[in-house]
Amino acid sequence: MAGATSADAAGEGFLSLRGLTKRYGGFAAVDDLSLDIGKGELVAFLGPSGCGKTTSLRMIAGLIEASAGRIAVDGRDLTHVPTYERDMGMVFQSYALFPHMSVAGNLAFGLEMRKLARAEIERRVREALALVHLEALGDRKPAQLSGGQQQRVALARALVIRPSILLLDEPLSNLDAKLRDDMRAEIRDIQTRLKATTIFVTHDQMEALTMCDRVAVMNRGRLEQLGTPEDLYERPASAFVATFVGRINRIEATAEGDVVRLGGEALRAARSAHGPVELMVRPHRIEMSAGAAAPPQAQDGPRNMLSGRVARSVFAGDLQHYEVEAAGRLLSVERSTVSHEPPLRPGEAVTLSWRVADTFMFERAS
Amino acid sequence: MDERPASPTLTILASLAFVFLLAPVVIVLPLSFSGDAFMAFPPQSWSARWYAAIFSHARLIEAFFVSLGLAATVTALSLMIALPATYALVRLRPPGAEAMFSLFTAPLLLPTIVLGLAILIVFAGLGLLGTWRGLLLAHLVVCTPYALRVLATSLANLPADVEQAAATLGARPATVFRRVTLPLMLPGVAATGALCFLVSFDETVLSLFMTGPRISTLPVEMFHHVESRADPLVAAVSVLLVGFTLLVVVLVDRSLGLGKAFLKGG
Ligand SMILES: Nc1ncnc2c1ncn2[C@@H]1O[C@H](COP(=O)(O)OP(=O)(O)OP(=O)(O)O)[C@@H](O)[C@H]1O
Ligand SMILES: [Mg+2]
Repeated sequence: MAGATSADAAGEGFLSLRGLTKRYGGFAAVDDLSLDIGKGELVAFLGPSGCGKTTSLRMIAGLIEASAGRIAVDGRDLTHVPTYERDMGMVFQSYALFPHMSVAGNLAFGLEMRKLARAEIERRVREALALVHLEALGDRKPAQLSGGQQQRVALARALVIRPSILLLDEPLSNLDAKLRDDMRAEIRDIQTRLKATTIFVTHDQMEALTMCDRVAVMNRGRLEQLGTPEDLYERPASAFVATFVGRINRIEATAEGDVVRLGGEALRAARSAHGPVELMVRPHRIEMSAGAAAPPQAQDGPRNMLSGRVARSVFAGDLQHYEVEAAGRLLSVERSTVSHEPPLRPGEAVTLSWRVADTFMFERAS
Repeated sequence: MDERPASPTLTILASLAFVFLLAPVVIVLPLSFSGDAFMAFPPQSWSARWYAAIFSHARLIEAFFVSLGLAATVTALSLMIALPATYALVRLRPPGAEAMFSLFTAPLLLPTIVLGLAILIVFAGLGLLGTWRGLLLAHLVVCTPYALRVLATSLANLPADVEQAAATLGARPATVFRRVTLPLMLPGVAATGALCFLVSFDETVLSLFMTGPRISTLPVEMFHHVESRADPLVAAVSVLLVGFTLLVVVLVDRSLGLGKAFLKGG
């Protein structure tokens, strides 16, 4: 594609959003959203209900007009281009199948709009049906399908036109676990093969982390962080991202430069601050040893230490979950059950330790 | 519709409503087979003579065809006006759409007698009284708001998502309307057509103002007949009309499904 170079030259992604905003009255459903997505990349929009994921997708597809901002694909400004010229395949949260057409008719619609030959349309419809494992149901009407089957028809209808951009609004929310895993792999596979630049909206953080190249975490209409799953997990940009992605302990404390006072104990984080803060550490990053003895200092950098007492212990198969009372609060700790060590019992004195590098610190409104 | 058995209370209420609605038919049917020269209930003798009398009553026959042509034309025009108007007001939502919708459907709220008087005054100056064109315009004033109302409900019940999905697949607005919106609205359109037809065919008050010696509609002719004579002829005409109305409703229902249109709003 000749245009790809022009987009690269401008330092923009294949799909580029700049200051995209949607206001309803005084309320900003999407607020100043800027991001770049590379050609063929699969990016998840992850965030709680009502954070503006669907609204963003609809603006990108041209279904609602942005209050402000710019949308460009491959260097071409699409902000005022009508939906039917945008070449974006979309799976709606509500599926939005054509109720008066058969499944095959639904799939053929986009191809007919592209004025393909009858035989070619039939071939591609058959292919698409096979892709979503619905070969036998081409003649059914959408109302005669289960929710999961309808969702797969919606997915096939968006894929069959081989769009340059795929917008998927929770396309797997109605499938059972097994089918969902299959469809994730399918989507990833098709998406890679077609090099379709894809936005995948989901509530499900595991889905976002495991199948997408990068994840955009949204909250209240704003982009909190755009990064690889590892970035979000290991280097969260905000307290919201840290708590939304994965499990984490939150410890309210007061920072005094390099140290953070917590009752009588002093902890450290990777950076310094002053005033009320929240320290965060993931349960499985905390090492726990029995007794009050300090564990040997590991080679992987300085560590924080707290002594405490086991309050609760729960067996969860591959993990043992503990709640440990330390410095006057309850901390979650997870240990792998791989070593066959006998679990620690409630009431036992323990020492907790974790790397300073694994300690996130965020300012807290006092 | 037929998924749940109705409760006994509901069944009784519905039966009472049916009896109330059908009572006039129950009276009129025996009356139409009266052999008497005057309307009396119950009739003293029986015959089909009044049915035969209809067909020798040229003015009635003529009026029936005027009503038929008028209703068909009014229905077609109402749909042609209301369909695009509904789409514009419900989907494109120009500024002031709600106010315009209220304005266009306002005639529904006016008593027909008031409407008739107003139209009479305006049409008198334009020389439209007693003409087919005048009747047509007057009926449009009544029928188009009905059409707008029913079609708007039918369209508002269509999820906009489905039309938007068509747009993302590359369909231009006109194609979306032709391939998605219109087919999905079809039951609503059929219901609207039937409604307009029956409203126009049945319209009496307004037509009384508009008709004259040169042109008359069936309801007006029946009205005049009852005014001057008290024979059971109108009962016979009424029975035929009930049959005709039933035929229209059944035809539309068979071909497109009125139940679907009215119960699910299209
Ligand atoms: N037409 C509208 N008018 C007013 N507010 C709206 C409108 N559409 C959406 N909103 C609001 O904008 C916010 C974002 O909505 P959106 O549908 O984008 O959320 P979402 O992230 O997709 O949520 P979910 O995960 O539940 O689908 C919500 O608070 C919603 O109430
Ligand atoms: Mg949504």
